[in-house]
Amino acid sequence: MTEYLVRRFIQSLIVMFLISIVTFGLIHAAPGGPTQIFLSPGLSQEAAKAQAHNLGLDRPLPLQYLKWLGGFLQGDLGYTFKNHLPVGQILWPTVGHTMVLMGTSWLLSLFIAIPWGIYNSTKAYGWSDQTASFISYVGFAMPTFWFGILLQELFALKLNWLPLSDMWAIDKEGQIGDLLLHLVLPVSVLTLGFLAGYVKYARTSMLEVLEQDYIRTARAKGVRESRVIYRHGLRNALIPIITIIGLDLPILVSGAALTENVFNWPGMGRLFVEMALAREYSVLMAITIVTAVLVIVGNFIADLLYALVDPRVQLGRKGGTAA
Amino acid sequence: MEPLLTIKDLTAGFATDNGAVKAIDRVSLSIGKGQTLCLVGESGSGKSVTSLAIMRLLEFAGGRILEGSIRLAGNELTDQTQRQMIRIRGNQMAMIFQEPMSALNPVFTVGDQIAESIRLHQRKRKSEAKQMAVDLLRMVGIPDPETRARQYPHELSGGMCQRVVIAIALACRPELLIADEPTTALDVTVQAQLLDLLQQLQRELGMSMLLITHDMGVAARMADQIAVMYAGVVVETGSVEALFDQPAHPYTVGLMQSVPSMEGERLSELRTIQGHVPSLHALPAGCRFHPRCPHAMPRCTSEAPPMMTVGTLQQAACWLYGDVAAGFAGAPDSDNGEAGG
Repeated sequence: MTEYLVRRFIQSLIVMFLISIVTFGLIHAAPGGPTQIFLSPGLSQEAAKAQAHNLGLDRPLPLQYLKWLGGFLQGDLGYTFKNHLPVGQILWPTVGHTMVLMGTSWLLSLFIAIPWGIYNSTKAYGWSDQTASFISYVGFAMPTFWFGILLQELFALKLNWLPLSDMWAIDKEGQIGDLLLHLVLPVSVLTLGFLAGYVKYARTSMLEVLEQDYIRTARAKGVRESRVIYRHGLRNALIPIITIIGLDLPILVSGAALTENVFNWPGMGRLFVEMALAREYSVLMAITIVTAVLVIVGNFIADLLYALVDPRVQLGRKGGTAA
Repeated sequence: MEPLLTIKDLTAGFATDNGAVKAIDRVSLSIGKGQTLCLVGESGSGKSVTSLAIMRLLEFAGGRILEGSIRLAGNELTDQTQRQMIRIRGNQMAMIFQEPMSALNPVFTVGDQIAESIRLHQRKRKSEAKQMAVDLLRMVGIPDPETRARQYPHELSGGMCQRVVIAIALACRPELLIADEPTTALDVTVQAQLLDLLQQLQRELGMSMLLITHDMGVAARMADQIAVMYAGVVVETGSVEALFDQPAHPYTVGLMQSVPSMEGERLSELRTIQGHVPSLHALPAGCRFHPRCPHAMPRCTSEAPPMMTVGTLQQAACWLYGDVAAGFAGAPDSDNGEAGG
């Protein structure tokens, strides 16, 4: 087990290193740059060059990368070009905000989707199943920003029941009740999006399990139907669902850029869009790295859960699990 | 003495896109206490459907019992609700299946799976049931049962898994054991061991057995009685001696001849039955075997033969044995009209 963890950790470091190189290259390959964006248009070529030199942007890319890497390894995420703020100070609060929004939506969708999908598998093509199918199609097909705007139009503008956007009213910052009110609309949008997939996965996975021979064996033993499904079926059906959940985990932090923009939610998704437009290289690098760490951690958690649910999977054993 | 299991005119089938299909048609069988009945026939002849219908598991496979009666120890099974059946299944009758590796739940230890069977039907504490599970594993010949009980199915071989499946089935000492091709998926040597084990356990527990097989060798070794099925109907029944000495139905004769012999001339060609089993959607009129039958007569093409007594312990559904006993086992098949006669 220890050996497995160590191996896994080293693999992760290599992956992170490669991701950082690729991201760094991509960001700098994008047309335009910080000098064009925040320097005044009237500035002379010489002055712009001098500015670029001051920021270190005229040096060869590999050198710029090494400088970034050196800072990163010492815990220095760099500073923004504009205002020269430390990246951490901008980034960390948005991570928390996104987790509140995404975590609520994600957990809510799981709590609805898994029991509902399982139930639907036992009554396939019944009215409940058809309803879930319909909601899934809507969830998949409808752009989240459009659905978000519709909800705002109805519940915030027409009915005036809920706040239009932001995380808190301007005079109520930090109050839980106000936060909950602000969560309702964006959470509805995001939950529908998650639910659309999960409810289908849960149903399909369980339907497949119910066809298995060991389910017939359970019935032949005289196990009553509810126990057949919830004891003999459920644990097997959860195995593929866990993979999907693990892969979705990073979204919790990387956020939903569109929804955060529509609802003016001060999260990481919105930050990424803003910073991409402003060519704030250091912030973009930091966001990418945080997301990459989460992808790796998410996969690792999924593998741990696998081993917990499925005795055939043994961590660290050859062929037991994909690294 | 009344037989333990009596099946009369059992008709069961599936609803398909092309309309309802009868997978078995008026099957009648009986098994005495402590006896073994082997149900033989090719794939698709309705053997498994018959066994699932008896267990009332056919409903879960999308099928339905349409007509007929299944009496187990005086109890009419077709009248039971599924709620009542869960007290009979695994208790009074139990079943083992063809694929031992997939018949066990991969996420529970084999000990737990056996103990569950015990606790479903008997008031036992968890620890007691666990101990009984270990004893059952020992009974089915698994070495080091204490360790094995804590293992998962994937840690066991196919033969071991089938022994576990047998242990699960026998946990509550059923009066009837239905075994659907229990050794087909296993190595020949393991097959022989398992058949021995089944025979020995049957003697010890005094249970009756319905053994489904397509292997005449297995039938010869295990059966007291044999019933031969073809395209959803029983074409011949009789004691194992009668059937092997003097098979009456041309299909049974064909089956016997297509068993490779270890004796006699080694170069003699292996006989086969021409043609193949008809689709349930396109059953031939009259006797279902007539298109493949070397003795087919005009009458066979229009009129389904009833079961006719051909010996003291033997019956066959074939016009070769004349009209003497017509009406003994029912009127001609209504599916095919009343033509001829």
